[in-house]
Amino acid sequence: MKYKKISNYSYNIHIIKTNKFKTVTVEVNFKRKLVKEDITARNMLVNLLCESNMQYKTKRDLTIATEELYDLYYRGMNYISGKYNIMTFDVKFLNEEYTEEGMLNKSIKFLADLIFKPNITKKNNSISFNSDSYNLSYNLLKDSITSMKENPDMYARTRMLENMEPNSYLSYRGYGYIEDLEKLDNKKLYKYYESMLNSDIVDIFVIGNVNERSIVKIIKENFDCIKTFKKPSESHFTRPKKCRLVPKVSKEHQKINQSKLILGYKIDKMTDFELRYVLNVYSYILGGGPDSKLFKTVREENSLCYYISSIGNPLNSILTINAGINKDDYKNAVSLIKKEVSNMKKGKFNNEDIIKAKITYVNSLKELEDNPQSLISLYAGIEYLNSDSFEDRFKKINKVTANDVVKLASKIHLDTIYLLEGDIDG
Amino acid sequence: MDKYTLEKLDLKIYHEKMKNGLDVYIIPKDNVNGIYATLSTKFGSIYNEFVPIGHKKMVKVPFGVAHFLEHKMFEQKDGKDPFTFYSERGCDANANTSKYKTTYLFSGSNSFSECINYLLDYVQSPYFTDENVEKEKGIIEQEIKMYDDDPYFKMYDGIIYNAFIEHPIKYPISGTVKDIYEITKDDLYLCYNTFYHPSNMFLIITGNVDVNDAMDTVRVNQDGKEFDKLKSIKIKQYDEPNKVAKKEEKIKMDIEIPKLGIGYKIDCSKIKMNINDIKQYLSIVFDLKLGNTSLLNDNLKNLNLITHDIDFTFVNTDKHILVIIMVETEEISKVKKMIEEELQNLDITLEQLDRKKKVKKSNCIYRSDSIYSLNNKIMGNIMSYDEIILDDYKKVEQLNMKDLKNITDNINFDNKTVYIINKS
Repeated sequence: MKYKKISNYSYNIHIIKTNKFKTVTVEVNFKRKLVKEDITARNMLVNLLCESNMQYKTKRDLTIATEELYDLYYRGMNYISGKYNIMTFDVKFLNEEYTEEGMLNKSIKFLADLIFKPNITKKNNSISFNSDSYNLSYNLLKDSITSMKENPDMYARTRMLENMEPNSYLSYRGYGYIEDLEKLDNKKLYKYYESMLNSDIVDIFVIGNVNERSIVKIIKENFDCIKTFKKPSESHFTRPKKCRLVPKVSKEHQKINQSKLILGYKIDKMTDFELRYVLNVYSYILGGGPDSKLFKTVREENSLCYYISSIGNPLNSILTINAGINKDDYKNAVSLIKKEVSNMKKGKFNNEDIIKAKITYVNSLKELEDNPQSLISLYAGIEYLNSDSFEDRFKKINKVTANDVVKLASKIHLDTIYLLEGDIDG
Repeated sequence: MDKYTLEKLDLKIYHEKMKNGLDVYIIPKDNVNGIYATLSTKFGSIYNEFVPIGHKKMVKVPFGVAHFLEHKMFEQKDGKDPFTFYSERGCDANANTSKYKTTYLFSGSNSFSECINYLLDYVQSPYFTDENVEKEKGIIEQEIKMYDDDPYFKMYDGIIYNAFIEHPIKYPISGTVKDIYEITKDDLYLCYNTFYHPSNMFLIITGNVDVNDAMDTVRVNQDGKEFDKLKSIKIKQYDEPNKVAKKEEKIKMDIEIPKLGIGYKIDCSKIKMNINDIKQYLSIVFDLKLGNTSLLNDNLKNLNLITHDIDFTFVNTDKHILVIIMVETEEISKVKKMIEEELQNLDITLEQLDRKKKVKKSNCIYRSDSIYSLNNKIMGNIMSYDEIILDDYKKVEQLNMKDLKNITDNINFDNKTVYIINKS
């Protein structure tokens, strides 16, 4: 596998040349500092661009076109990465070796057309998106936002974060907000689209068995609409506000069978080593899987839940623990969880736990190399989050000691407890 | 050990039947880091009436036993938890139960021979006690409740329940909370001893392994264990009527957008074709009529009746295919009517069929890049055809208008069950 970054243009090209895959994957990322109101607009925009374009006027035509391109896979989405909003488009298609000559060019052109040739209407010098497409994308986003509540887990996690810190990077809703959607209109959105092409930071990742020179040529031909002048990116990492001395407890009700319990912890200022490595080991031992402390205690010994896990979020310096329980077991579950978190502070884990966490880290990293999309996100991590190279990661994870974990544990404080209480008995 | 070529995929598959009857398949792939191994028994939630090994009479066990048993296999006499074993080696372990089979699996990138030995050892050494069986009930109860809160799971289970009358495919895989509280240690042993016999199981390994070493390891492991002789397992046969058990059900849930489900129960006994091949054709038909390349899907969106694509999936017994269609909409009756009208005409052009064949062929290649998809393909082949399809391309190539027409001419959509979830 060979990696090369080319920065001669108004965007960066990252080429990962490998013969591991029978496919070529291309991902284009537009990123910009996160502003709450933008989230909805960007979601709307990405839906719209993936809905139709000048050549394929409906989603149906677009999908049929992908089938003709040997079932090319495409996806567009917008997501939050700490202090940044990233809109990403990717296509994955079979290497020409398995299809026919010219497909590489055609497939990348398909991707570029999605981004640069939207389905627009020109009227008296003013440009807007095709109104049918606009309405379809509007309805889709509206439904996606409103039906978030139908996924009680996701809803509970979101509500916990909003209780922890309303209006902050860490609690913004990824899909956006109905209020913002209603304020949006076609013309405003088109303006936003233009500004995105002119001012977002753009990175293009290519992975597959490709010839560097020809791929750069194809990209140059197809991506000349990007007029961004290069500007440096800031760090994506954010810091939460001060932790509450007494944790905030909030409860909401829903007519569901299982109650969702979410505990939110804030982490005092971590060193770079802590947030990239120690947090990983800590969270693996506490609630990383079926062999973790929380799983063993809350599920196996006390039969209180089917799932329980902890997730460290280094971008926002928080840690969350979530479980699905019976509402009557709320107190018991919370106290068992608190006890396990406190045991971590006391160093009540053994060296084997540390070794397991490290081996798991190393192995999962190795397995990510087997999937083109995961490989791209690993390289995107190097570009965006200043992550270490693979080799350095293998070395550094192995330097984590029990002392490091205990030291980090002392920086982790409970801030918010949230319970989505199920009202259906039995 | 036999060796075969998976055509057009630059891959080989190796097979050996162990002396005890266990079938072992290996697809080595040296350009990846990972290894994925699955050990499956042809025992899923539908097998609840059978003649146990060493018995003469049919017995009936509670629903949900297969899934319960899967949970309890992770209990070991030495107290060591298989999850801990795999986690010590940086591997992931898991298991799942479906209507027809139960699968135990691990994935990782090192300590392969230890891991494969352990997989065979823990699945081949049950340890059920009254106490550990009791303990699991609270956990599975939470699992059932979690799925009960998901409108699509609820609808899926509901449609199957309302479509079938006699066949136990009717019941949810995990059983109900009431069912699982009836399960005892003895039920588990009864099922285990019968269905976990090696001759009812198969092992599939895909990924970065040395095929000879891997096969040797499995052989040594299996030859060192003793099993009772097992002829064939007698399972109760059901005479499932063509009609559905219940034509319509409406429920309420705490949801934002109402949901419509339709289950078409199709009698396949008149079509002289493997039921899985019929399913292939039906997937093309439904994709073209209701999927994201259909006119109907487009129309419904333009009329603002739906925003997300119509979803469809298939469940089958040896005689019936149940097509399950799910969609969310504020206008249940309009959408239902439009779907029903669309299915009145199943004409498909050669051009459409060819396009879908191109998609299916491309998917064969996509799949071969992933050790997980390859493993799943082999599992699917064994469960559906009882043999490995070596040339998937050819299989797709053989799809034709004549067979398609034979199927569309012989199915009718009279037998249906409708499931509606409204906002509470």
